[in-house]
Amino acid sequence: MARSAEQIVEEGLSRYGSGREAVMQLLTDVNNELGYVPEEAMRAIAKAVGVSNAEIFSVVSFYSFLSIEPRGRHIVRLCKTISCAMKGSADILQALKDDLGIGVGETTEDGRVTLETTSCIGLCDQSPAMLVDDVPHSRLTPEKACEIVRGLE
Amino acid sequence: MAEEKRVMLGQEGAETGSALRKALSLKPADVAFEVREAKLLGRGGAGFPTGVKWVLAGGASGERKYIICNADEGEPGTFKDRVLLDEYTEKILEGMAIAGHAIDADTGIIYLRAEYPYLIPRIMEARQNLIDRGLLGENIGGTDFSFDIEIRPGAGAYVCGEETSLMESMEGRRGEPRNKPPFPTNQGFLGMPTVINNVETFAAIPHIVLEGAEWYQALGRGENSGTKLFSVSGDVENPGVYELPLGSSVCELLELAGGKDTQAVQVGGASGATIGPDELDRCMSFADLPPGGSVIVFDRSRDMLDVLENFMEFFVHESCGQCTPCREGNMRLLDVIADLKAGRIESMKQLKPYFQLAETMKLGSKCGLGQTSSNCFVDIVSKFVDLPDDVKGDA
Amino acid sequence: MPNVSVTINGRKLDVREGVTILEAARSAGIEIPTLCYHPDISIAGNCRMCVVEVEGWRTLPAACVTPVTPNMTIMTNSPRVRRARRSTLQLLLASHNSNCPECERNGNCELQDLAEQHNITVNPFQTDEKPSSIEEASPGVMRDNSKCIMCTRCVRTCEELQSVAVIKPVGRSKDVTIGTFMEKGLNGVPCTQCGQCINRCPTGALFEKSEVEEVWEAIEDPEKFVVVQTAPATRVGIAEALGLPTGRNTGQMVAALKRLGFNRVLDTDFTADLTIMEEGFELIHRLKKALVEGDKDVHLPMMTSCSPGWVKFIEHKYPQLLPNVSTCKSPQQMFGALAKTYLADKEDVDPANVVSVSMMPCTAKKFEKERDEMRDSGYQDVDYVLTVREVARMIRDMDIDFENLPEEKYDRWMGQSSGAAIIFGATGGVMEAALRTAYEVVTGQEVPFEGLNIEPVRGMQGVREAAITMPDDMAEGFEFLAGATLKVAVAHGLANARKVMDKVAAGEADYHFIEIMACPGGCLGGGGQPIPTDADIRQARARAIYDEDAHLPLRKSHENPEIQALYAEFLKEPLGHKSHELLHTHYHKRED
Repeated sequence: MARSAEQIVEEGLSRYGSGREAVMQLLTDVNNELGYVPEEAMRAIAKAVGVSNAEIFSVVSFYSFLSIEPRGRHIVRLCKTISCAMKGSADILQALKDDLGIGVGETTEDGRVTLETTSCIGLCDQSPAMLVDDVPHSRLTPEKACEIVRGLE
Repeated sequence: MAEEKRVMLGQEGAETGSALRKALSLKPADVAFEVREAKLLGRGGAGFPTGVKWVLAGGASGERKYIICNADEGEPGTFKDRVLLDEYTEKILEGMAIAGHAIDADTGIIYLRAEYPYLIPRIMEARQNLIDRGLLGENIGGTDFSFDIEIRPGAGAYVCGEETSLMESMEGRRGEPRNKPPFPTNQGFLGMPTVINNVETFAAIPHIVLEGAEWYQALGRGENSGTKLFSVSGDVENPGVYELPLGSSVCELLELAGGKDTQAVQVGGASGATIGPDELDRCMSFADLPPGGSVIVFDRSRDMLDVLENFMEFFVHESCGQCTPCREGNMRLLDVIADLKAGRIESMKQLKPYFQLAETMKLGSKCGLGQTSSNCFVDIVSKFVDLPDDVKGDA
Repeated sequence: MPNVSVTINGRKLDVREGVTILEAARSAGIEIPTLCYHPDISIAGNCRMCVVEVEGWRTLPAACVTPVTPNMTIMTNSPRVRRARRSTLQLLLASHNSNCPECERNGNCELQDLAEQHNITVNPFQTDEKPSSIEEASPGVMRDNSKCIMCTRCVRTCEELQSVAVIKPVGRSKDVTIGTFMEKGLNGVPCTQCGQCINRCPTGALFEKSEVEEVWEAIEDPEKFVVVQTAPATRVGIAEALGLPTGRNTGQMVAALKRLGFNRVLDTDFTADLTIMEEGFELIHRLKKALVEGDKDVHLPMMTSCSPGWVKFIEHKYPQLLPNVSTCKSPQQMFGALAKTYLADKEDVDPANVVSVSMMPCTAKKFEKERDEMRDSGYQDVDYVLTVREVARMIRDMDIDFENLPEEKYDRWMGQSSGAAIIFGATGGVMEAALRTAYEVVTGQEVPFEGLNIEPVRGMQGVREAAITMPDDMAEGFEFLAGATLKVAVAHGLANARKVMDKVAAGEADYHFIEIMACPGGCLGGGGQPIPTDADIRQARARAIYDEDAHLPLRKSHENPEIQALYAEFLKEPLGHKSHELLHTHYHKRED
């Protein structure tokens, strides 16, 4: 049974308390479960913690992994920093864009996959690498990357 | 990880918890002094003397104190902390608990970057292991020292590896650096005395407690103390994590990792130093090349301007945006890199304002990101870009 | 705190331990340029203009955040500092929309001043022209992010001084801008339109929505009968906006407005006196209901309603307390309603041709005039609102030599006022004016304060309280108040208002009457007043206001002959039918 944004926040508050320092965990919970942080979640967190809506929005807008807009069920993050770039991440990116038919920061029409690039994810010894949701994939080739992404439901 | 050179890590023998038990038999101040004697410099890259940090925090007053493990590893080319957290998890937690005892803190927090979510199960499992063995939680080892560890997530921001940005993030704000003073050891997380150390720094702690400061000092090369983990990637046969004495030379590392036809080595990540083939005998220590641990190797097939562009794009993306030199400066440097790539720059003289900009960023930025992001520009343009000093008739 | 010895630019100085390098330098007359620093708000340390060289330090610290330590040696103009400062300025200018001639702050801009002082004639980082990106969103406050230097003074003002916090940095790195929740714009969030952000912006990134062109058009239209009203605080602000020292310039202000071409120059102070009549009786009425009729539903404490920023604030944040707010309109709006009824009749003009303009120290008044409730005359009661800054622009546009103008008088019917009216411009002034009248009405005697100066409600402290005990024998009909102690409170700045409201909402406030002004200092510090602002400037304006009051022949609202005439001929009595029709209003709950 899918939780609503307000539910996630409410349950989070009972775990982390309602101090300002609960905000990152609350935002992460909502973002991870819903794929983004909806307006209602920001309002609920702002109210619980005692800051303005704009303040929470400002925090969300700062972090690369948090999104204010709905994203796909799966998020593909391809590293574009030097160690991966040296080993062909640009080709992988192109292959993924072609395969998915979307650009960076965009989501497939069926809501399945959002494609993003990211800064170094610490898999430099096994580059090129990407994160698909919480799972790292390394030693990628364009074919391997596309296969992984095609297999996502 | 390279088998050959493991000195500290991977050592069999020391049973998990033995260091903590020994530390608990000592007075907190004595533990801090031993770490200070060992001259363990912060292994995240900043190199602040760990023991001094502990002594300061130990002497500070506050309702409660915190030990924070900075697991926001984000410097391009660095992955040693990922390996440590995955393969030496209990050791890290034990190091944190020892730190807790040393400064009288009861709470340890691992600020774990959002890009390492797959490490969470291992860390939680290790924590549970230690709890089950009475090495975490209430009354550890039968003493009145209680300590527990929790994980708090980052959300994708390199700048949050800077200790004050890290605390801002943990306090539910934008990861923008704070003004110092106050210093974290006095007023850190939630205004309380806080010690923030890198993952690798905590990994060294149990060894220092068990074997002593002198032993640790002897592991280093020359004046340097202890070993250093290096994450090697790029144009090498065997990328991976290598443990060497702190103060080892770059060519030693290259030999182990299998570098061939090397044109340049980036030591210390994108914010570090770029050295050419004639500088490979330089040493990686806090006295010379920045030993944060990231070592990226470029062979002669690489265009160093492309490399520079990649680094600068990284900084443009990761700058928090708070202070003028960094927010604006990185962009201006990226602009002139595009000019260089397109052949629009005719002489070094044209670049003079950008070298001045690099100095302004280095001296005037509010935090380490802005203070180091122009290093690669200065190094690579000086050493790898061939331009006349001036063009005749140049305005 | 003990003193320490430091050396700045070779000069040995003795300063208090723990002061910042900036404070130490300025106390010795050594200037260090700043941008993100403002004395009214917390220190950010983000612009990096104030970097200095400290012997033995690797980096150049920001003077505004770095405390001095014993024997610190500081250089504020070493070659490294000078070069870093220039670099930083060049960076700011390169990203800035530098179309100065077309900017409201041309000639009064801190970035422009620094660029000129440091002679930035060459900028190697200059890229393409940056076009304006104006957010049209609200009646009072407009933003143009192309001029923003991300100093965050506006953010800190909105958060710390006003506790409204609707503008924040959005995004990261080079893409960071100041924005609102979900980019809804100022109209879509609880912005109170107070304009304090405008007052503290160092550049032209924040400014009021201008109505100058519309007013020129009306003035130049021979069919229109254009009247202007001037708020209490404008007469002590106008000189600053024209580069002259703060002072009392009422007569010259009237002269200037006449030369601008207004058909009638009248005074909001007149309707301030009127507000006291209506609100004083409203308070007495509520007290009677509570104490005599034992009405449990009567809403006390009563709160003033003349500050539209404050009214919008309470509509968003404490709608449950709206019944406590006085139903009186603000003086501006009372004036507007009368201008197109009472005045039009007196002047024998068709109200359809009356254009009612107000000169205000305020930006929220631009919002207030557009409220649906403000049409009781049958027309929009106030057509245009001009800030003091806008009027100054008009005066300069006509090349009027303000300094040498003669002093002239307001026109009749709605131009006379008392000292009680002029003190509306200062925090505590409405309270003092109300007490001068209400006390005399119920006791038959003057307020028991020397020179009628009710000191306990004066001053710049954020929240002030006072209590006045009634004598045993009262005027006829007011015996129910004999011996009662009237408790009042005054707050200025919305952060202070919030403190008082929290107490009221929790049932912990035993006041009977509260004056709230949205702006620090009261209207004299309003969002439409000259820029810059600081505590000293506001103090100077307050002195001028209380000075003016002390020198006026009439000191109490109920003694104003034009007010007496208004009641005799038109309104009949306070809170009467006509008053309720034209001079009272209601409020709306707004989304938080």
